[in-house]
Amino acid sequence: MLPFLVLLLFNALLAYATDYEERLLLRPLPRSALLASFQFRSNESSTSFEQQNFRYFPRSLGQILQHAHTKELHLRFSVGRWDAESWGQRQWNGAREGGTGVELWAWIEADDEEQAFSRWLTLTNTLSGLFCASLNFIDATKTIRPVMTFSPEGDHPNPSKLHLLHGTLPHEVVCTENLTPFLKLLPCKGKAGVSSLLDGHKLFDASWQTMSIDVRPVCEENGDCSLEMEQSVDMVLDIDRSKRPRDNPIPRPLPIEDIECDTSKYYNGHDTCFPLDKQADPAWTLTEVFGRPLRGACPLTDTEGPNSHTVCINTPPERTVNANTTGQYEEHRYASDTMRCYKLPTGSDIDLELPEQQMTTGLVLGTPPLYAARAINGHGQERGSVQAVIRNPSTSTAVDFVYLEALPWFMKPYLHTLRAQVTGSSENPIKETYYRPAVDRRRGTHIELKLTIPAGATLTITYDFDKAILRYTEYPPDANRGFDVAPAVIRVLNPQSSDRRGAYLRTTSLLLPLPTPDFSMPYNVIILTSTVMALGFGNIFNLLVRRFVGADEVPSIGGGLIGILKAKVQRIRGRFSR
Amino acid sequence: MPLAEGASAPVTSQSSSTTSSAAGATSDSNAQSSTRQPPPETKESIWVRRLVVLSFWLVVLLLGLPVWWKTTAIYRAELPLQDMTDWADDKVCKPVFPLRVAVEASLPLQDAHNLLRTTQHAIDDLNEFSAHHLRLILAESHNSANASQEVVSDGTRVTTDDEDIALAVRLIPVETGTTPRAHLQPYAPTLDVYYTPNQIPTPSSTGSPLASFIAQELHKIFEEEQALLSYLLSTTSTAYSGKTKPKTKTLSAEKTAEIERQFTRALKYASTYHLTFSLFSPTATPSGWEIESVLKHYVSPLLESFSAISNFTVDTQVQLYAEFSPSIHRPEHDESLNAWTLRKEDLSGFINAAEWPLSPSIGTGPTVNFVLYVPGQDQSPLLIKENGGNSWLIPQWGGVVILNPPLQDEGKQASTILTEDALAPAMHAFSNQLLSLLGLPQTPESLPLKLSTLKRVRLASLFFSASSTMGALARLTNALPSIPIPDAVAQSIDSTTKHLQEACNHLHEGRFQGALEHARIAEAEAEKAFFERSMVGQVYFPDEHKVAVYLPLLGPVAVPLLMAGLKEIKSLLKRS
Repeated sequence: MLPFLVLLLFNALLAYATDYEERLLLRPLPRSALLASFQFRSNESSTSFEQQNFRYFPRSLGQILQHAHTKELHLRFSVGRWDAESWGQRQWNGAREGGTGVELWAWIEADDEEQAFSRWLTLTNTLSGLFCASLNFIDATKTIRPVMTFSPEGDHPNPSKLHLLHGTLPHEVVCTENLTPFLKLLPCKGKAGVSSLLDGHKLFDASWQTMSIDVRPVCEENGDCSLEMEQSVDMVLDIDRSKRPRDNPIPRPLPIEDIECDTSKYYNGHDTCFPLDKQADPAWTLTEVFGRPLRGACPLTDTEGPNSHTVCINTPPERTVNANTTGQYEEHRYASDTMRCYKLPTGSDIDLELPEQQMTTGLVLGTPPLYAARAINGHGQERGSVQAVIRNPSTSTAVDFVYLEALPWFMKPYLHTLRAQVTGSSENPIKETYYRPAVDRRRGTHIELKLTIPAGATLTITYDFDKAILRYTEYPPDANRGFDVAPAVIRVLNPQSSDRRGAYLRTTSLLLPLPTPDFSMPYNVIILTSTVMALGFGNIFNLLVRRFVGADEVPSIGGGLIGILKAKVQRIRGRFSR
Repeated sequence: MPLAEGASAPVTSQSSSTTSSAAGATSDSNAQSSTRQPPPETKESIWVRRLVVLSFWLVVLLLGLPVWWKTTAIYRAELPLQDMTDWADDKVCKPVFPLRVAVEASLPLQDAHNLLRTTQHAIDDLNEFSAHHLRLILAESHNSANASQEVVSDGTRVTTDDEDIALAVRLIPVETGTTPRAHLQPYAPTLDVYYTPNQIPTPSSTGSPLASFIAQELHKIFEEEQALLSYLLSTTSTAYSGKTKPKTKTLSAEKTAEIERQFTRALKYASTYHLTFSLFSPTATPSGWEIESVLKHYVSPLLESFSAISNFTVDTQVQLYAEFSPSIHRPEHDESLNAWTLRKEDLSGFINAAEWPLSPSIGTGPTVNFVLYVPGQDQSPLLIKENGGNSWLIPQWGGVVILNPPLQDEGKQASTILTEDALAPAMHAFSNQLLSLLGLPQTPESLPLKLSTLKRVRLASLFFSASSTMGALARLTNALPSIPIPDAVAQSIDSTTKHLQEACNHLHEGRFQGALEHARIAEAEAEKAFFERSMVGQVYFPDEHKVAVYLPLLGPVAVPLLMAGLKEIKSLLKRS
């Protein structure tokens, strides 16, 4: 229960609304992993936003939102998989996470669906330029309009004119070029504050990372509205991997003397060793793990109160944490000392140092509401089936959830084969189904299911699908890799999350191999048909225009080049012999 | 019966002297005995064969070629190429700028007319630029305002609030001071001329000091406008350069250079400009500015006066931790000035384009950037080394002002918000930069007159730009026969010519606002036609590719057809 309290408290701390605030949460996870969760939040009053007087809100993004009439925006860049079995509950209940690749959804103000879609295209195209990502490839085939999975987080005065559109790019490789524009949107730009720790090399080397941008309008009860932008970077770093020096980045095995060996193994010897898991928590410092020092506080954040405690570390109380700095800092403890927060010095670097320590108590990590996995079954180039396995770890409460699947058009599911089965129960767990079938080359399949899973049960969803044959121009240049299918999104409806963000989890993306043709085919076709046509034409033409004579009536000198040459030779001979 | 080659076997065997492979010396009779001659071909079969070949050729020529031509033809809409070229060469319309100057005088009608006539003569004598001339008309003075309705009907008197009146000259009789003297009102298009009553010319006289004085004054006022227009005419329009050179006002070299500088500084005309005011600071302070009230007091009134020419959008941003470009020299400390100095040659590289978010605003129209840079306490005050100034203009891009924060006492925290008072000098500098970026002329000293001059200069440049774009499109159409021309282009061209004609008519009648509207539409349409996207698609499809596609099919079909045709023609010629 302790961590849950911690989370609640942490969320409560964030509830204060100032113009700019930022926060970093560090939580060591099992097997020398470290969760680092950065959050930056800036507010701009809606009047100055409409007059385009930008102070904390970035001008580039603000103009895009105004131009595309976007009222609420959610953008995600993600890499990797959250290992729920060992890392436990997701940060922010999964509400600030995206599927592998890029995911974007937005509420757009428009009179009708057509206008909404054209504004959506404007939005994706301009965002594509801003974030150096292929967002412009989100076209009609990759866009869906979810009905149950997402609900607006902001306060919208005129919700009837809003249209929700959602697009994913599971194939997109998120990399450093997406982090640079992300940092430029921050008021302190990675030069001060917790954002100074963000370094592309370490971020994209993490076991799992997600960057998110959320813009929503927030209205006070007295009618004052403002636009809130939340940027967050969550990552799970492997401490050993991150501590590798930059000049020697190739992983090499440690010298055998430094490894603790399992001596009970029969093959244990002077050169063979089965390494034991280290019992002690590893030593690390911020500078080692992130590759750069923390350059003090961003001066725009509050200097007093709980919002000024920008760096928090969530460890058991017995863990030693030393802060090394030349400036002034403060340490505060919350939640029975499991949360230590630091007020950073302004203008001077600070480093947190955790020495190697043998721990007697561990941090209890929260259990996620659901575990989910999804895979493609079957063989061959023609058809296959998808199987999603969802497990409810709770022993007492049933969980209602929405399962959203957005499939590309070339993966054609058969809805009549859709089965959902709960272990140990014959009852159909599907409560509601929303299905919009695909249209070839125009739009993809969109399935939303509302399901219930009893306590401790496992739910299996399966359906069969056909693989379409594409036109040769529709294959990407790296056709052999196969096509990515966007992750399924699961929204947990109960237990009801305390805030408006909701609780989500996503499966991994799927790799769908499609029949791949020989790409020199078009030219072969041209040549082959031309040859056949020429043969046919030549035969018919010759039959019509040639004269047929007896074989013995033909002059013995054949026609063609050889005949002409022979005749010439004979004529010359005749001349000489005269 | 084996199929034997020899479509024209009988023909060759009859005509040629060569026969079998036996020794060359053998006689014809010997050879003929070894192989049998095929029976002579009947006339019918020869004719059937000829008809077959002919019909194949007819099918190819009458059906195949037209179908191929039709299916591969590029659609080219009819363009009035000659008209377009004529417009570009100014053969259709020679832009003229007849300016109407209203003269208000509380004089008897006879005297007033007389004064007008002599002044007009004097002006015409002074004017050396035929396309731009001043026409004096008599306006009723305020004294006789009651009688205005009756007098307007004869067409010689107009009210002074007509917006097509470029300038009003008010004749005011005085008793004291040096006369005649003139005063140009700074916020109204009015020139006050003070005179003593005895300076009014008598009906018999042909010249008078007052008339020539007024003419001189008017000439002075419109001198810069004439220079600008004649510069435009000589550089952009072909008709006025070269052979018709004497018509333009001859400009001195320095004047031309000065005008050229003005034109290179100014932004290209657009119907909408986006103004971006950015506050940059290398540290975290100041993190805010009172921009709303500053914009309201300093920028909005200025933009309002330009509203007849262009629209403006304004946005602002605050960017902290913004170091200037690392490619330039670090500021040096100057002991004598007790200031940090930037070298003049580094100013062009001051803007850190890679780091500073100065991307253009979304939407059509150029973005004008105004950068307010507040140096950190450790580099303050920051000045330009050569002249100690703190602001400069970047041609066609925007302006930069360095605002040095007031020196703080030790320990006292620098204020995080820039107040309106602190921003005032910077905003004045920005206003001046905006005026030169928009191409507002330096003289005369009256804002409405400057604006109307700008209006005419913009009008002229739009007019020339639209017509030269049409000329360029006509040349392009002739030079690249492989580009398609969609109907949209033809429509745009039609609309361009129509609006240019309208603009021209308005110009001749001296209605500049209407002419500007039409020229603006014409220019937009001409640009739309020129940059039509579907025109360029085919340009990059070279002929080699077509050959590669056609050859495998057409080669094997064409060779037998051609050979058979040639053989038949040969035999036909031999027979006859």
